[in-house]
Amino acid sequence: MKKIYRKPHQIRAFFVMTKYFFLAQTRNPATFAFGFLFPVVFISIFGLIGNSQPPLAIGFPANSNFNNPIFQAIRQQPSIKTQIAPESQLENDIKKGTLSAIISVKQTRQAPPHFQVNVITSSANTQIAAIITTITNSIVAQENLRIAGITNPAITVHKQQLAGRQIRYIDFALPGQIGFALLSTAIFGTVFGLIYLKKALILKRMFATPTRAITILLAQGGSRLIMAILQTFIILILGIVAFKFYLPHGWITFVELVILSMIALIAFLGFGFFMAGLVNDENAAGPMVNLITLPQFLLSGTFFPITDLPTWLQPIANVLPLSFFNEAIRKITTEGGSFTQTFPLMLGLIIWGAAMYILAAKTFKWE
Amino acid sequence: MSDIISVKNLIKKYNDFTAVNNISFSVQPGEIFGILGPNGAGKTTTLEIMETLKSLTSGKVLIDGIDVAKRPWDVKRRIGVQLQLSAFYPELRLTELLDMFAAMYDVQIDPMEMLKEVELEDKAKSYVKQLSGGQQQRFSIASTLINKPKVIFLDEPTTGLDPQARIHLWEMVRKINKSGATIVLTTHYMDEAEQLCDRLAIMDHGEILKIGTPKTFIKDLLKTGFKKEIKQEQANLEDVFLHLTGRQLREG
Repeated sequence: MKKIYRKPHQIRAFFVMTKYFFLAQTRNPATFAFGFLFPVVFISIFGLIGNSQPPLAIGFPANSNFNNPIFQAIRQQPSIKTQIAPESQLENDIKKGTLSAIISVKQTRQAPPHFQVNVITSSANTQIAAIITTITNSIVAQENLRIAGITNPAITVHKQQLAGRQIRYIDFALPGQIGFALLSTAIFGTVFGLIYLKKALILKRMFATPTRAITILLAQGGSRLIMAILQTFIILILGIVAFKFYLPHGWITFVELVILSMIALIAFLGFGFFMAGLVNDENAAGPMVNLITLPQFLLSGTFFPITDLPTWLQPIANVLPLSFFNEAIRKITTEGGSFTQTFPLMLGLIIWGAAMYILAAKTFKWE
Repeated sequence: MSDIISVKNLIKKYNDFTAVNNISFSVQPGEIFGILGPNGAGKTTTLEIMETLKSLTSGKVLIDGIDVAKRPWDVKRRIGVQLQLSAFYPELRLTELLDMFAAMYDVQIDPMEMLKEVELEDKAKSYVKQLSGGQQQRFSIASTLINKPKVIFLDEPTTGLDPQARIHLWEMVRKINKSGATIVLTTHYMDEAEQLCDRLAIMDHGEILKIGTPKTFIKDLLKTGFKKEIKQEQANLEDVFLHLTGRQLREG
């Protein structure tokens, strides 16, 4: 009397396991810290850095002449912060780097009045020195024209502004934080999570059920995918609401970002599965995981652009998996590019991912 | 009646080490069958081969007439498995775990009913780590019942439990056995083997030394002229302990 058993539905098992694996993750403090807390704290810090751009600061010595058109004109410049203080204090400020220049005006003749403008800048920042010299020159030139009574000069400059966008640090840093969160979820979460499941015999208990091992692994991946989408959402919404993170095409860019995040997570999971399959205890996994993740956090343009790295290092940094992702999302955010421009970069990431899945399939040890 | 479990010439080797060396035995439907032996005797390996969790080197193992090496997935559907550790997700509640396992077996269950069966209904919202040792083992047993298995394997179910919890667990095992499931368990406790098991296989160094009922074992030994120093004791220390502390189950 053989009872006929139904063939177990791997699909039901997959969805129910995905749900519970996700639920378990939400109750795990490490997931919360790496996946949500760190990125949120970083973004908040970067958001604040991005908002405070140091203005040009010019000091006028207290003993200089203030009753002249030059002084008035400089004071009215919107991008310049002015202050009046004793000359010795101003010189100190220049040395400390808190002051960009000292400008003093000396009257050299009474009638008609002639003036001499002295500009002292810091040798430490030639760029700022050049800007201040240019501003001063242009103010002096305008005043000379006015005094000379020329209202219709032979050469005029026609200024036109294009609707450009100021790129703040947050606009650079936020995409990097999405990458950081995804890589953490995929690698830290998977490696330490799976090692724990192996050690505590939780996987073995599951293998005693008719659910296939591959279904269990897929559900692991699925649950982390949901987590990743949630992370991307939270990071983006925080960026948009609190720090006015710029989405060139609004919600379309938002959806594109979520799609790219999902692809990236699946690729990064390959690394997670590969490493989780290779080692069986946390002590061995720790250094290995750090070896894979730390260089990427530093070199892949998460916190600063790859172009800031030494030139010999850039070709290596450019082909790291996280670099492909970071660059792809910056293409559609900071650079305002089209979705198709991300394809070559995502292809690079997919190749990495595929290589890892193949390696994982060859080396994975369940016990 | 045909055997529910049949093990023939089973050998399991790890490289040079032979964990299970050519053992054969069979289990009848409805039996509580014990594998008794010291640590490292090969009990767990034998169990895990029957549970399809380990491959065999040679020999044949049939569960309900099905070859574990050829149709492991059909075997998994017919058995319930309890491992030595209570192996469950630490971040999931008892009802959630049962619900997940029901999906993994593709059966419909009422998690609360299952918990009631092992007297854990008031712990439904707890996590496994919040349970006492005996409660963990009972939950583990509940998880073996999800697919209404024909055979339930219990690996050292009472190791680490206090006397009250052990007695309680034995009663539970008997109850499940009465409702129709064949039970195979490993143990290294003589009293457990004697009181709970219908038949025993005594294992050491990967081999079965003897198979039979606890009573025939003792008779056979006595026939050889074995004599134990006779002490006139009407009770032992366990009786004293249980007399003093009662048989009431203790759990925080």
